[in-house]
Amino acid sequence: MNFSDPTHQELNPANNSKKRELLFTFQSIIVTGLLALTAIAFFFYNDLAIVKGIKVIFAPFLSVVPLLFVLSILRELHHGFREGNYNREEILKFSAVALAVTMVFTALTYLLSEIDALEILLAAIMAILCVIFFLKSKIKDILGMSIITGIAEGILIYMIFLF
Amino acid sequence: MQLKQLNKAFLIMTGVSVTVFLYLVFLGYDDIKSVRDVLKIVAAILFPVPVIFFIRFIWIERFLPQNSEEAKLKNQKPAILLLVITVIIVLIILQLLEWMHLSLEKNLIFAHLMNSTAISGYVLNYILYNNLKTNGILSGLLMALAIHVFFFIN
Repeated sequence: MNFSDPTHQELNPANNSKKRELLFTFQSIIVTGLLALTAIAFFFYNDLAIVKGIKVIFAPFLSVVPLLFVLSILRELHHGFREGNYNREEILKFSAVALAVTMVFTALTYLLSEIDALEILLAAIMAILCVIFFLKSKIKDILGMSIITGIAEGILIYMIFLF
Repeated sequence: MQLKQLNKAFLIMTGVSVTVFLYLVFLGYDDIKSVRDVLKIVAAILFPVPVIFFIRFIWIERFLPQNSEEAKLKNQKPAILLLVITVIIVLIILQLLEWMHLSLEKNLIFAHLMNSTAISGYVLNYILYNNLKTNGILSGLLMALAIHVFFFIN
């Protein structure tokens, strides 16, 4: 925890926010992949039926249209990634946020697995994806990172222990 | 340069995970009966990756420490001590689990989870953080798992 430790000097101090952004991008790609996997798994495993064809086509619009609108009118909510360190309180706080989101998403994935119509599942997955894109493009901060980490871990925990 | 290191670490981690995954799949081939089992295994292998990204996001300053002679000399003894202690403790825990009839072979998902977590932590620590004490603990964990699987399972 001793950041002034001479053996832990950083080599290029100007680049940290870029590295953070890269990690954030990686994390959101992982979550997107996981959500796709979840959708495919539930679709194959639960033998979901399409109840109404036209609903499937319109399911994504439910969340995509508001997302695009919000993205176009909203300015950036946070001031990007920080160059320096996070202090102990911030680390604890955002780890707690990640843990809470993990639990919420374990429960939410369980609810997704209970849905028995394809079009509702599709709409729900698209809504979560839209939340992730919103976080990715507007909340470029440690808060966004902890929420995305929580979502990924929640899905994984459900897949490993409960599915 | 750091970006290259990060990419290298990520690729190596993925490669090792895939290798271990293939090995364990062959090992537990009889246990895989449905798509559900495959999904569980994939999830168990992916599990540590988001956590590691998150940790690295927070602790970015401790990225790539200088691998100096003094640091090595200073950390040699505690690292060796931690290695020995971890090996002994993990071996005892695994023996206890065997004794309680909860062997690793019967809980392949947990074996996957432990393996992927330990290996990705080990590789990332080795390449990115170079913390010798952590290296001792993680090496101890992996050594204990290897010793257990090779010598105590018949």
